[in-house]
Amino acid sequence: MKTKREFIHNLKELPRDELLAPGSPLCAGCGGLLALRLLLKALDGNVAVVNAAGCMTLLAVYPYTPLRTSWLYTTMGSAPAGAQGIRDALDVLIAKGRLPREEDLRVVVLAGDGATLDIGLSSLSGAIHRGLDFYYLCYDNEAFGNTGFQMSAASPYGSRTATSPATPLQAAGTLQQKKDLFEIWRSHHPPYAATLSTADPVDLVDKVRRATRLRGPKLFTALAVCPPGWGSAPSRGFEIAKLALDTGVWPLKEAIDGKVRHTYIPQRRRPLEEYLRTQRRFAHLFSPQRQEDVLHRMQQAVDAYWDEVQRHEMPPR
Amino acid sequence: MLRIRFHGRGGHGVKTASRIVGTAAFLSGFYAQDSPIYGAERRGAAVAAYTRIDTKPICERGAVAEPDLILVVDETLLADPAAGVRVGCEFASALLVNSGKEGTALATELRLPCPILTLDLTAVVLAVVGRGSAQSAVLGAAACALAGLGPLERVLEAVQRELVELGLEADEQARNLEAARRVYADLSAVPARPRLPASGQVELHRPTLAKGAASRPIILAVGNAAARHTGRWRVFRPVIDQEACTRCGVCFALCPDGAITLDERAYPVIDYENCKGCMMCYQECPVHCISERQEVQAW
Ligand code: SF4
Ligand code: SF4
Ligand code: SF4
Repeated sequence: MKTKREFIHNLKELPRDELLAPGSPLCAGCGGLLALRLLLKALDGNVAVVNAAGCMTLLAVYPYTPLRTSWLYTTMGSAPAGAQGIRDALDVLIAKGRLPREEDLRVVVLAGDGATLDIGLSSLSGAIHRGLDFYYLCYDNEAFGNTGFQMSAASPYGSRTATSPATPLQAAGTLQQKKDLFEIWRSHHPPYAATLSTADPVDLVDKVRRATRLRGPKLFTALAVCPPGWGSAPSRGFEIAKLALDTGVWPLKEAIDGKVRHTYIPQRRRPLEEYLRTQRRFAHLFSPQRQEDVLHRMQQAVDAYWDEVQRHEMPPR
Repeated sequence: MLRIRFHGRGGHGVKTASRIVGTAAFLSGFYAQDSPIYGAERRGAAVAAYTRIDTKPICERGAVAEPDLILVVDETLLADPAAGVRVGCEFASALLVNSGKEGTALATELRLPCPILTLDLTAVVLAVVGRGSAQSAVLGAAACALAGLGPLERVLEAVQRELVELGLEADEQARNLEAARRVYADLSAVPARPRLPASGQVELHRPTLAKGAASRPIILAVGNAAARHTGRWRVFRPVIDQEACTRCGVCFALCPDGAITLDERAYPVIDYENCKGCMMCYQECPVHCISERQEVQAW
């Protein structure tokens, strides 16, 4: 069940303008790149992107850039601080009359899950706490993709990464639980936080548009299919993103002033296994032996989540 | 020391190929060192990997600038100065290009100061392993054959060890081993054998650093990345049949690179200079009016 869209209702209404030109050195089929492209479409123009080091470092490799927006590159830990600097500079210039108000920019932090949940978490927390008026896009490919797919605090339990391989002592691969970014954000009381999926571009654009009306931190996290890291064919990116929604492992939701609402509630959730089987990072759960206990635990976590949703949230209109 | 350099694009498996050769050498009792370049490990981007083999411990580090053997997975890299395929090729006793062309024809075309060999590795992979597969096994086997590493069983053991490490399924492993066997057999008859020079003094490289503003690159253009022509990455080319297209907009929405634009009547148009060939549009078109054609030029 999907909630009613406010600003755009189908793909035909997707803005035509591209703020992201082709030719970037990012992988073919990169889900993070698609999330960024769609987010920029929703913001239509006048944007300054503040990029934390990560896969997107390679967006602009001198002398080329695919962006038709401004771009500032920062270390992994300091992108929200960079955003604060730009925001303050713009505010001061406008207040002094040195920059016409129409030339104001929307400041967008772009960071991976590693920069968001591991290295830059304190900087991000501080920026939200200060009520910085900015957008934040976390492209969550569930590991440090740029350097060869090492484990991050977003790598899900049961997935294999370069630094959490499946071994006899650690058959599940990653043993840790993925940090819940949405709830971390919500605990900071931002005006807007949402999860996004590239499998639902209409929902993505709709949410970003809704957020533009609000002042303060507007926070987005998108599940970013990563073909080389996840071990999947680039052509199957859409299908995998869709399965993440339909199995319920990646819920689509938003929180306006802390109030949570799911924008898609799968009526009959598909078994998580269908999602896991599409990616080599989960292959050790099925072969040489089926790891029933791990699979059970993963499915249970998803089921428990949605039981909770049923309990607390009336099905949306 | 014997130095081998592999050139390919991310996804071709040059890193694994360098490991296969390293493992084969190690299993044969040599000292071995293998490493990929650190940097953008992107599917499609130009990458390189190195293997060094010696009878003594290897102290040399870093990129191989004076290779005894060069193996190139993608012919188009020869035309890309940034890929550095030609660097030090005057030291090489052979440069193997994965290509369907004749070696002599390519030699005239390239005019390089080293012998050129060609072998259609992609054809072997497509026939034996299946489409979309990496070339690591055949590439590793080719390098082993040219370097004189053997026997075949030992090379295949090295291939298998590396594929197991990658987590390949048993049947995929078997197909890769078969492809490696074929390539090894094909190349074993080639007379080109690299020389085995004595390991020399290691020369330290002292970089000169730029100062101030020159080392702080600022790009003033916008959206100029389209000039990079990432279309060269493609293995398959998506082709839209306009007659059957319903203008649903799905392909336009989901192309990660924005390589699809809509014309004034809302029909999708693919920018082939930059479409990377992820084939998501082909996979997802609801009326299946996008077909695929294999690129000949790119691989
Ligand atoms: S490694 Fe993954 S996230 Fe990074 S550019 Fe490639 S596909 Fe995108
Ligand atoms: S194959 Fe299709 S979706 Fe992929 S880059 Fe090319 S045009 Fe875009
Ligand atoms: S997805 Fe297929 S039918 Fe839809 S616009 Fe693209 S080519 Fe046309």
